Amino acid sequence: MKEIIIYIRRKLSVRLSLWVVLFAALNFNVALGFLFYQSRETVRLEAISHATHILDNTILRVENILNRIEVASNNAKWFIQRHSDQPDSMMVYSRIMLLNNPDFCNCSIAFEPYHFKDYGRYFSAYSKHVGDSIRTVHGGSDHYQYFYMDWYLMSKLLGHPCWTEPYMDYDVPTNSNEMVTSYCQTFTDKQGKVIGVISTSLSLSWLSQTISATKPYPNSYSIMIGRGGTYFVHPDTTKITRETIFTQTIETPDTALTSLGYAMQHGEEGMKQMNINGEECYVFYKPIRNTGCSMAIICPENDIFRGFDRLRRTIIIIVTVGLLLMLFFFIRIITRELRPLGQLADEAETIASGHFDEELPDFQRIDEIGQLSHSFRNMQQSLVKHIEELKDTTAQKASIESDLRIASNIQMGMLPEIFPTKADRDDVQLYATLAPAKEVGGDLFDFYFRDEKLFFCIGDVSGKGVPASLFMAVTRSTFRTVSAQESKPDRIVTTMNKTIADMNKTHMFVTLFVGVLDLPTGRLYYCNAGHNAPLLVSADIKELPCDSNIAVGFRKKWKYSLQEAQLSTGTTLFLYTDGLNEAMNADKEQFEMERINEVAVRALANQQQEPHELINQMIKAVHQFVGDAEQSDDMTMMAIQYIWQQTDLQTQSIVLPNNTQEVTRLNAFVEEVCKTVGFDEMVTMQIKVAVEEAVVNVMKYAYPQGKPGNVRIEAAHNDQRLKFTIIDSGKPFDPTIQSEVDTTLPAKKRSLGGLGIHIMRQNMDSINYERTDNLNVLTLRKKIKQ
Amino acid sequence: MKIRIEEIDGNVVAFLEGSLDTAAAPEAEKVMDPLNNVEGKDIIIDCTDLEYISSAGLRIFLGILQNAEDRGGHVYIKGLNEKVFATFTLTGFNNIFEFM
Repeated sequence: MKEIIIYIRRKLSVRLSLWVVLFAALNFNVALGFLFYQSRETVRLEAISHATHILDNTILRVENILNRIEVASNNAKWFIQRHSDQPDSMMVYSRIMLLNNPDFCNCSIAFEPYHFKDYGRYFSAYSKHVGDSIRTVHGGSDHYQYFYMDWYLMSKLLGHPCWTEPYMDYDVPTNSNEMVTSYCQTFTDKQGKVIGVISTSLSLSWLSQTISATKPYPNSYSIMIGRGGTYFVHPDTTKITRETIFTQTIETPDTALTSLGYAMQHGEEGMKQMNINGEECYVFYKPIRNTGCSMAIICPENDIFRGFDRLRRTIIIIVTVGLLLMLFFFIRIITRELRPLGQLADEAETIASGHFDEELPDFQRIDEIGQLSHSFRNMQQSLVKHIEELKDTTAQKASIESDLRIASNIQMGMLPEIFPTKADRDDVQLYATLAPAKEVGGDLFDFYFRDEKLFFCIGDVSGKGVPASLFMAVTRSTFRTVSAQESKPDRIVTTMNKTIADMNKTHMFVTLFVGVLDLPTGRLYYCNAGHNAPLLVSADIKELPCDSNIAVGFRKKWKYSLQEAQLSTGTTLFLYTDGLNEAMNADKEQFEMERINEVAVRALANQQQEPHELINQMIKAVHQFVGDAEQSDDMTMMAIQYIWQQTDLQTQSIVLPNNTQEVTRLNAFVEEVCKTVGFDEMVTMQIKVAVEEAVVNVMKYAYPQGKPGNVRIEAAHNDQRLKFTIIDSGKPFDPTIQSEVDTTLPAKKRSLGGLGIHIMRQNMDSINYERTDNLNVLTLRKKIKQ
Repeated sequence: MKIRIEEIDGNVVAFLEGSLDTAAAPEAEKVMDPLNNVEGKDIIIDCTDLEYISSAGLRIFLGILQNAEDRGGHVYIKGLNEKVFATFTLTGFNNIFEFM
């Protein structure tokens, strides 16, 4: 069954044909159904009319016979009464009666006892057909005292002629029985005294045959019942007079048969449809005048509709065969018509497998299939063209993707990859991540140490993708360039803004937070240019207060403000871009500040405020929140934890006038300090050179030529390091922003300057410049190896 | 700081002794000025007794070298101790001078 359904679903021709044939079958069904119904009704009405007619005819015939008997009996009565004293005449009359009416069974002219003295007690002239002749005998004897018989007594008692109930007529000479019914009437003498009875009998079997001779249908039959319901006529002769119409209903109750019986008994006329002996039958019934009998013709339904059923069967067979033929031819025709489609499908398959140049067949048709073939050809040509274009586009796309990948690598390469951990530094730890939404992004972060300061920034370029990434690259390199020359965030940002705004033709902008953390003191200088305010995670969580500066790149002349904050030891500064607080889940809900705060609070409670740990917690939380939703924006986080270092154990100082000849004293002082700390000769010499260079720098550049002034040198050390602080009140001079010398150049190209700062950087672990309270403060540090 | 210049085996040899720091540099530069006028001879700076040098001293050395190279001469440095050599290395001077 499943295979058939699959076959039908795969074959359009079969499906179409089936639909058409089904529709035709439905039409035929309705039309034939209506026709059959109407025809059947007509046949039925015809049958009713036919059967009724036959019944009427039959009854007419029966009545005719009965009439004849009555008339003959009346005529005979006249003769008998006239010659009632002549017994021989009675014999003749009786014989003549039969002679004239061959269909009568017998005729008795019976007299009262002793009417004819000569004949004794009994006289009855009795004639009967025996074969083709008529036998007339003298009836009545001691064995057959006829005047006690029904046929004799009934009319005599009733006083008018009447028909007896059927009874068995026993014929002594032939010793045979015959079921008969008799018409009896009395005859009288001149005084009106009943002297006898004339009885003319009719054989029931003959009557039955006569009635049954005419039947509307081959299997129909007639029945006749008497007043009591007794069968007088029935095809089953054993039932005649022995059974009534109700006999059958005693064993198996049959309301239809019972009601038929009653209707017939009551002399009603009509038609009933009922089941007789398991067969649907139409029963037509009508009473026979004056006799109290009723006759019925029973016509089996099969008989009535035999012809109709045969016709119907034939039509159904013809229609069915026709429909099957139709189906067959339809399938053949449609298959033939659709064959080009199959070919087209094969060609399409070939084309789909990559053979675009496959020659398409020309069906030479102008119908829809022809059009399809034509369209298909056009499609093939377009396809070839588009595939070529697609190939080019794909190659271009691959190239762009490859470029993007490289750009992504370059961009990521710009970002610092190594972060200072506890193992690297004891004063600060830092960690940062950047996750672009596309291959390349517009977020940036950067940091580096210069001398004793941590320079860092985090920013977010407007927009995403390649334009943002280019802008980001510009911003980042500008930060590096500018911050190499400047130490104050406000000035860094102001200069960056000027540079960027100058070349910003696309009206992009970048929100930027630039911070400079002075590591020895924990003093944070920062400038926020429209960026999210960072969080301070220390004893509690709070936002770092930020001025409302505009983003970088908008207005060339904007003056950015400087802000300061003191970081206590252990404080973590958490910076992020809006990709974090605006991270969206599938329901378009944002991560929001509350959640960032929650994560920070939890991290603080679990002592996880170290930069790497804090950012990991934040990433975990945001991933959990976002779920499978696509990352909507670049997301960057940076965390900086500051740890303040212990105070100095010992401090020594020396104040020198602004004169390079004082260097001799300085070197002696430095040597003394180094000895105290316990440095070896080599390190001592390195420190000596560095400090000399630093002090000489101050003497040369902080004070204008010839202007007197002092330089104070403080030496302080703890277990970790030795620190020299060089303080002067000259004009602001930051030696740390001087450019580096190239130590690989040949002698000719080497300049005489710039060596000092190089030596300072190389010989010391860090140098740091600050301008505080109108003083230049230069700090040089050397670690003490344990 | 003591400096003495002698001519030995056709070479001009400068003997440096003590610390060549910023304080000593102006005097040293003056004393060593004749080295800038040496023609057709190699210059040898004997640093065996040089204990210390700062960038001011290095600048004098560089000046002498640039001058000598202009004239096609050579400047050799002799007997540098480890500590002073470290400063030479630091500044890349080890690459531009010839040592003996």
